[in-house]
Amino acid sequence: MMKVFLALFLVALLAVMLEGSLATIAPPPWSPDLGLLSVISVGLRWRGMAMGLVFAYMLGSSVDALSGSLMGLNALLYLFVFMSAIFAGRQLNLKGAFPVMAFAASVSFLYGFGLYLVSTFFINGIEFSLRWFIESFLHALVNGVVAPLVVGIFSRVAVWAGADDSSERALYIDTPVRPA
Amino acid sequence: MFGFFKRMSAPIVLAILILISLASIVGDRTRVSRNDLPWWQGVLLEITVPFQEAVAIPAAFLGKTWRSYLDLVDLRAENDSLRISLSELKETNLQFREALVSSGHLDQIVDMRDDFEIPMLPSTVVGLDVNPFFRSILVDRGSEHGVLAGNPVITHEGVVGVVTRTSAHAAKTMLVLDRQSAVDAIVQRSRTRGIVQGRGSGQLAFQFEAQGGDVRAGDQILTSGLGGVYPKGLKLGEVAELTEAGGSLIQVAAVRAAVDFGRLEQVFLMLRRGPGMDLLYETGEFFDPSPAPVEEQVGTSDEDVVNAES
Repeated sequence: MMKVFLALFLVALLAVMLEGSLATIAPPPWSPDLGLLSVISVGLRWRGMAMGLVFAYMLGSSVDALSGSLMGLNALLYLFVFMSAIFAGRQLNLKGAFPVMAFAASVSFLYGFGLYLVSTFFINGIEFSLRWFIESFLHALVNGVVAPLVVGIFSRVAVWAGADDSSERALYIDTPVRPA
Repeated sequence: MFGFFKRMSAPIVLAILILISLASIVGDRTRVSRNDLPWWQGVLLEITVPFQEAVAIPAAFLGKTWRSYLDLVDLRAENDSLRISLSELKETNLQFREALVSSGHLDQIVDMRDDFEIPMLPSTVVGLDVNPFFRSILVDRGSEHGVLAGNPVITHEGVVGVVTRTSAHAAKTMLVLDRQSAVDAIVQRSRTRGIVQGRGSGQLAFQFEAQGGDVRAGDQILTSGLGGVYPKGLKLGEVAELTEAGGSLIQVAAVRAAVDFGRLEQVFLMLRRGPGMDLLYETGEFFDPSPAPVEEQVGTSDEDVVNAES
């Protein structure tokens, strides 16, 4: 369990570092938020809720340390992103690239909106603008496109680190059998 | 009892982590001095910079190759236009020099220039915020090179931002585009004063008093030097349009940033910070307008440090 946790956290940390470099080539909103996608990937595959929350918090704090946001802001929002991913992984059939893309894009857009709401609460003078809305939408689309690749990488890393394939949760629907 | 705690472990962990996150945000907002990073953040920055440099160097090479050899569309037209601009600027420069010589002020200005030289450190941008909401960059110079939180960061085009935190070999810089950024500024033509605020996107907003304010599209916006952060006369941008006019006491103009933040690769760190930043970061070192020996101040080699006019 700990080996899987450490392996996933290390890969997620490298992804966060990489996203900063990628952004110098393709500036926002055209660069993917690999930190956010890492949390979504782990949320979709992770089974232990408490450890997953710690993972999301630690990664969010690392993103806060490297970015210009308020310390604790991404850590807070990553907790909710992880929760939404773990519940979506249980309730929805997210097998296949397109459902993952759609889910990641939706969560990414809501995450942007969450950033706006929490920042507005703590920082004076932040106004809503159409341009920001469009940029957040485009950023969500970019994240959606990259999401299946990131989810695939995290699944492979988890299996490599010792997690069994059953961690890739599938949807089981029990239909009641009517007596004849 | 044990079963209860096992069942409730996730909600308890979630509640604790939410409380810690909120406490961190409140702490970050209320803390005045952010000069010293917690040890783990310093370590993270120290690990990140070489990693991002290793990725950024081949990426920058590819980008430069594309721009220098492949993306040469309209180059001839641009060259012709620049030649015309250059000849016009030469003529204007000649007229200004002539006016200065005839007024007898040229010698005094040459003497003054020595007093206002600020040591500058060239630095490479190795990382950028991916979120469009917050705008910051990570550069590969830190406290070991004499960089302090509060040092202004510029390029040849204009103002980039201000250093907010440093580790030994890295510095986080908040861009002027960030929504938390506000710079005291003036319009070059009419000397109208106002505040340039970041909007998070590629544009800035210039807020000024409607009564007596004279701002038009195309006006150049410069730092006023009164905010205690940036020296006077650095270019912030050009007025694109007046966005809010009418009955309000405050008018707002949309400003195109002078710096092309999409292609930010090299920046200069000004190794002297303004009095406002000294007070903010509470180091006890107050702004000394007299020039200090470069090596004493920054502890770096001569070739690393470039002296430039403020």
